[in-house]
Amino acid sequence: MIVPVGAVLGLSAVLFGIGVFGFLARRNIILMLISIEVMLNAVNLSLAGFSRHFEDSRGQILALFVIAVAAAEVGVGLGLVIALNRNKPGAAVSDLTKLKW
Amino acid sequence: MTLLTATFYYMAAASVTSALLAVTRKNPVHSMLWVLTLLLHVAGIFLLVGAEFLAAVQVIVYAGAILIFYLFVVMLLDLPDEEARPRFGSHWPLAAAVGLCFAAVVWLGKAGVAPAATRTAAEGPPRGSLSEVGTALFGPFALPFEMASLVLLAAIVGAVVLARRWVVRS
Repeated sequence: MIVPVGAVLGLSAVLFGIGVFGFLARRNIILMLISIEVMLNAVNLSLAGFSRHFEDSRGQILALFVIAVAAAEVGVGLGLVIALNRNKPGAAVSDLTKLKW
Repeated sequence: MTLLTATFYYMAAASVTSALLAVTRKNPVHSMLWVLTLLLHVAGIFLLVGAEFLAAVQVIVYAGAILIFYLFVVMLLDLPDEEARPRFGSHWPLAAAVGLCFAAVVWLGKAGVAPAATRTAAEGPPRGSLSEVGTALFGPFALPFEMASLVLLAAIVGAVVLARRWVVRS
């Protein structure tokens, strides 16, 4: 086997951790969405690694569906960003305090 | 260590570096360009694990469509003051600890991976090829495939409704 499956899964874990950190720590809403993309890529990587490991193509099919759902998520998420930007210019989540009391 | 294994470790190191840079850069456009680097390296890893169609979809859909969409929105919003603000919230050490713990838990979880399945050669088309993926998508996965198209349709309608400027008629 050219690529050890453990290395692929470890890389996927590290990328997912980086994505979690980015999502929790960034204050710009667009960069939080980008961190979600990093997490989704990590999951796709592990699916492809498992597909290789178990000699089964279902992992790749699932990764294709993940990409389709990611495209849908980006469309709705960025639509929300534009709608929010109309009420209050900027993309900082700390400005969105209207529901806070 | 063969050349392909060395290539894999280069791709892994480059993707971790570009992911780290993507979540830490101040300028949103720089972050997106690092995410582009990450996506292309992940597509390279897909090629190495034998998922050729997935690699093509990754480059065409992710790098070609989704990232351009992000860049369009960043340029549309015009965020001049964003660079002057702090990048991270005040609880970023906690967030870093959570991310590290998550990576560690998933890393430990990979120890439970079952041994590889054995498959005899000359058993249908090669794995990950376009013909195998296409046959699976239109055969056993036809229903999820159609539902994915419904999800995309709902997302298109939702995005149009959300981003539309509502005019109140008096």
